[in-house]
Amino acid sequence: MNSMELPLVIFTVLSQAAIGLVIISSIRQFAAEGPAGNVRGEWLAALVLLLVGLTASLFHLGHPLGAVNAVKHLSNAWLSREAVGVSLFLALVIVGFFSIKDRLSPGLAALTAIIGLVALFFTAMTYAPPGYPAINNALPLVFFLLTAAVVGASVSSFFTSQEKIPLLRLILGGSLAISLVVYLTVPFVWLSGGTVMHQTGIEYLTSPLYWSRIIIGLALPLAGIWMSRSIPAWIPALVIIGEFMGRIAFFSLTLHASSNIGGL
Amino acid sequence: MTGNNLEQIKKNLGCSMSRRKFLGCMAAMGVLASIPGSLLRPMDGQAGNGFEQGLEIFRNACPRNCYDTCSIKTFVKDGVIKYIEGAPESTFTDGGLCVKGYAYTRRPYSPDRIKYPMIQDQRGSGNWRRISWDQAMEIIAKKLIEINEKDGSMLGLALAKYSGNFGITNYAVEGMMTSLGYTTRLIGTPCWPAGIDAQNYDLGDMWCNDPEDMANARYLILWGANPAWNSVHSMKYIYAAQERGAKVVCIDPVLTQTAVKADVYWEVETSMDGALALGMARHILDQGLYDRDWVRNNSIGFDEFADYLRNEITVDWAAQKSGIPAEQIKNVAEEFATAKPASIWIGYGLQRHVNGGATVRSVDALVAMTGNVGKSGGGARYGHLRTWGFNYHALLQPRPEGSVGFLGADGPLGDFDFSGDKVDEYSDRPLNMNKTAEEILTTDEPPVRVLWVSCKNPLSQDFDRNKMVEAFKKPELIVSVEQFFTETVELSDIVLPVTTLFEEWTVNASYWHYWLSINEQAIKPMYETKSNTEIAAALSRKMNELKPGSCTYPTEIDPREWMIKEFNQGIYDLFGIDSWQDLKNGPAKAKMHPASWHDLKFGTPSGKYEFKSELCAEHGHQALPKFKEGRKPYDKLRLLTPHTKFGIHSQFVNLDWMEEYNPKPFCYLNPIAAESRGIKDGDQVKVFNKIGEVQLEVKLTDIVPPDVVMMYTAWFRNNPYNCQNLVDDTSSDMGAYKTGAPGVAIHGQFADVVKV
Amino acid sequence: MRKQLGFYIDANRCIGCFTCAMACKNQYHQDIGVIWRQVYDLKTEIYPHRERAFYSLACNHCENPTCSNVCPVKAYYKRETDGVVVHEQEKCIGCGNCIRSCPYGAPRHNPVLRKAEKCSFCWERIDSGLEPACILSCPVDALQLIDLATFEEPNAVQYPPGFPKFTSLNPSVRFRVAQSPTVIRRKRL
Repeated sequence: MNSMELPLVIFTVLSQAAIGLVIISSIRQFAAEGPAGNVRGEWLAALVLLLVGLTASLFHLGHPLGAVNAVKHLSNAWLSREAVGVSLFLALVIVGFFSIKDRLSPGLAALTAIIGLVALFFTAMTYAPPGYPAINNALPLVFFLLTAAVVGASVSSFFTSQEKIPLLRLILGGSLAISLVVYLTVPFVWLSGGTVMHQTGIEYLTSPLYWSRIIIGLALPLAGIWMSRSIPAWIPALVIIGEFMGRIAFFSLTLHASSNIGGL
Repeated sequence: MTGNNLEQIKKNLGCSMSRRKFLGCMAAMGVLASIPGSLLRPMDGQAGNGFEQGLEIFRNACPRNCYDTCSIKTFVKDGVIKYIEGAPESTFTDGGLCVKGYAYTRRPYSPDRIKYPMIQDQRGSGNWRRISWDQAMEIIAKKLIEINEKDGSMLGLALAKYSGNFGITNYAVEGMMTSLGYTTRLIGTPCWPAGIDAQNYDLGDMWCNDPEDMANARYLILWGANPAWNSVHSMKYIYAAQERGAKVVCIDPVLTQTAVKADVYWEVETSMDGALALGMARHILDQGLYDRDWVRNNSIGFDEFADYLRNEITVDWAAQKSGIPAEQIKNVAEEFATAKPASIWIGYGLQRHVNGGATVRSVDALVAMTGNVGKSGGGARYGHLRTWGFNYHALLQPRPEGSVGFLGADGPLGDFDFSGDKVDEYSDRPLNMNKTAEEILTTDEPPVRVLWVSCKNPLSQDFDRNKMVEAFKKPELIVSVEQFFTETVELSDIVLPVTTLFEEWTVNASYWHYWLSINEQAIKPMYETKSNTEIAAALSRKMNELKPGSCTYPTEIDPREWMIKEFNQGIYDLFGIDSWQDLKNGPAKAKMHPASWHDLKFGTPSGKYEFKSELCAEHGHQALPKFKEGRKPYDKLRLLTPHTKFGIHSQFVNLDWMEEYNPKPFCYLNPIAAESRGIKDGDQVKVFNKIGEVQLEVKLTDIVPPDVVMMYTAWFRNNPYNCQNLVDDTSSDMGAYKTGAPGVAIHGQFADVVKV
Repeated sequence: MRKQLGFYIDANRCIGCFTCAMACKNQYHQDIGVIWRQVYDLKTEIYPHRERAFYSLACNHCENPTCSNVCPVKAYYKRETDGVVVHEQEKCIGCGNCIRSCPYGAPRHNPVLRKAEKCSFCWERIDSGLEPACILSCPVDALQLIDLATFEEPNAVQYPPGFPKFTSLNPSVRFRVAQSPTVIRRKRL
């Protein structure tokens, strides 16, 4: 992984965490009985995560001051759309944060969540380029949604009321289980693809980073939830570490098509 | 086709688009009109080239030891080289250079360049200090005066120079030596001497057809030559011959880049080329396919040669020796003999053996007996020096009065020795360049006290490097004239920074094609660099200052004038030019018949092609081109150390631009050889033999046979790799006649490989 | 069809000499580590002898250039007149999206300028009536300039083995594949 990619790791994980947090917050607020919990704190957390992520994203640019120009190519470039989508999401989170009294208006919450999802979709499209055959598909979308789900649900546990822990456990457990299945399956699917996809599969399956991420970020938290009736604080910590490891793997282990020019 | 495309572009874009086309087209017409008047000044590039405005164009020529000797067009802006191109005027170069040539743009500006004279506090220590030219010359001159007083002669001063810069004015280095007195010269050539002698015995000179005439061949054998790497501009003529229906056969121990472009490739047993040629000759004889009229009218000794073939050679024997199946030998022999004209390009690889000269004579015989000598599209192509008739003004300096020298055999001072007949009482002391280390270690009375190294990198290129390191401990002072901190500079006391081709005036001819190029000073010498002509003058100034009359070399010279002094009417007539200044318009081609020996008047004692050469016998060889055995193996694998496409000898590989494409050395091993040694692709291996070892990464490949390990000659600036750790200085059979010393069995070497 | 300049890569003539690649450096003096034109050797599953057949590749000036499509600041444009894809480096903010996106690895990261850059097809030379530097340099005419609107070469292929197939981009290159000679090996004793 080159130095240009670490900011992308931070940006994508944190922005997806923020999106996940807002979505989970909205679901939790309206989908179950009981006190809403610390919604204001939760949105503040989302805002901070998003701002940190956006700041990091500037460091991935050779010329951060040119970032404002990144919205020039909405007609074609997913990155321009991503920039607009994330900015819009940021604006809504700010508005949302300041409009929270005890709860948030359902309309605004839903709108923010939807825009968040749209921004996440744009991001996923940005990171599904032809240059990386293994992820030139819907996989980034799946990966990013799962990141939003597991990190969102994990971080949300700090802000929820006791009554809604079971709901969060359900969401977190479910998304961790899906993640585990997805991440364990995908490299094997790649093995049956073309040379670059196949080699990407080999890269993953032979990488300690990949297996550590499976254990630390998915298997252990899942076991923890299984064992415990609540969501102990170490679980979100592990989940976040795992997602960072997974994202580093995503950027560093996925092979570029040009690596195989001259081969079959 | 590219020409057509260019026309198409010009038509569709160049003059229909708005940008710079209008001004460009107008200016182009302007420059065409003004050409006659602008000859004396560099032309303004803006006209022909709207690409970048304000470009000056200079003419340069690649002075490296290479077949192609490319004519270069240099585009300069504000005193800085912007880019270079091949001269379009030369049909041989055809507007292009090679990977090495295009790297030249970087060379004068390389961050690794030696910028000013430096002295090393202790040889090999790396403790270099900057000194002035005056200080450097004072140290050297004082030492030279000292040894002259001690020995009563300058024979303690030895010159190691070869082919690092073939620009004619660089003979100033030899001239400088002469101007100091009688000195010691390391003479000969590591490159091609056995074949030169062979061609001289057979034909009376080394003289090849115009390479552009290869397109006329109806059958072409590329024998131990790899032009795809070493003469890229020759390849188009081979393709042209193929496109006209010629069959191309490549004979080489290695499946080279040239081999894969041939129609048929023969993986010959290394050094058994002579057996193969004789087997083919026998079959041609048996089938009655030789050219009776030609051999009767133009040769002597054919009957004896035929008897030898009938009595001692069979196709089956040749097949056994060479490894090439008898049926193949017969087929190709018949095809070669019946295709008219047919030609063989004899590469320098196949004569780098203890039987190299004999081998070249056998191949020559094959071409001659089929009547292909003296014909366009034919010829036993090896090389030539027919376009080298310069004045050698820089070379021919008088000795100081009262000089004392060496009393011994007079002989040539190398393949490019143009000093003419010597009439002096004394001569320079000749030492065998191909045994440089041995000669330095063993020469006495006086020993080599001062070694001057120029246009050469002995530590990278000469044989038995471990011995060379020992030899470099012996002289009292070693002076290197260089552009980079090579391995030789590392073991020198003083280094003098020398100009690149862009910073000096000279003129260049080729030993392959027929073109002549001028080399203008395109940019001012960078830093404190000086050309060899100026270094000699600087030394002479100091010598005469300290001891008047001790050096005859002029103390003030104009490098441009010295370039002009190399020309004469013979050159002008040969190239059809009125003046050297015509070459500012582009290179000129010699007005020579495309076929060497077209008049069938040979340079041999008999004036005919000599299948039987008494001269050859007098020199201790066989009179007939008989088979001679190769060197006996002394280790498990044959070691081949040919040239890389990314460099010439030790030059170019060190440039950072070149490292982009060729970052480190490899050795090449057949998977069969690797398997029995437990070696896998990409492993680090040790290649070793009785004289040394190298460590490097291995590539497994079928381009080399299972009994061969191959690596390329090169000097990497950041890697200690050096193939000369493994190549000893065993002589080849011939070379002493024309070049003063026999060649080296560079490919008669053996080694083994283990995983490390 | 509208004019579309492209590269004809005749692997049967190509000798893998890297002259084109160095001619590009000679023309543009790219910073160390930045390679516009690379000469890729074909693996032995495609050509039986190692490092003996090559594709010289730079930017393919695709009909549908992904570099241009993904660039958020519109630093790329495709010339109407000849289909050359031009990167305007002054507009580039160094986001790396084109580098990630192009499956042929044409745009490269310049660590000194912290921007992307790629083969320009020597459009300034073309506009001056000159051939691109790489094409002019090729000693065997293995690299040629073609206009796909008029190019007719029955044996040419767009996606030979060893050249990644991305039909959605429609790269403006055509190839002739390399043939092998009849190889007569030595009898092993």
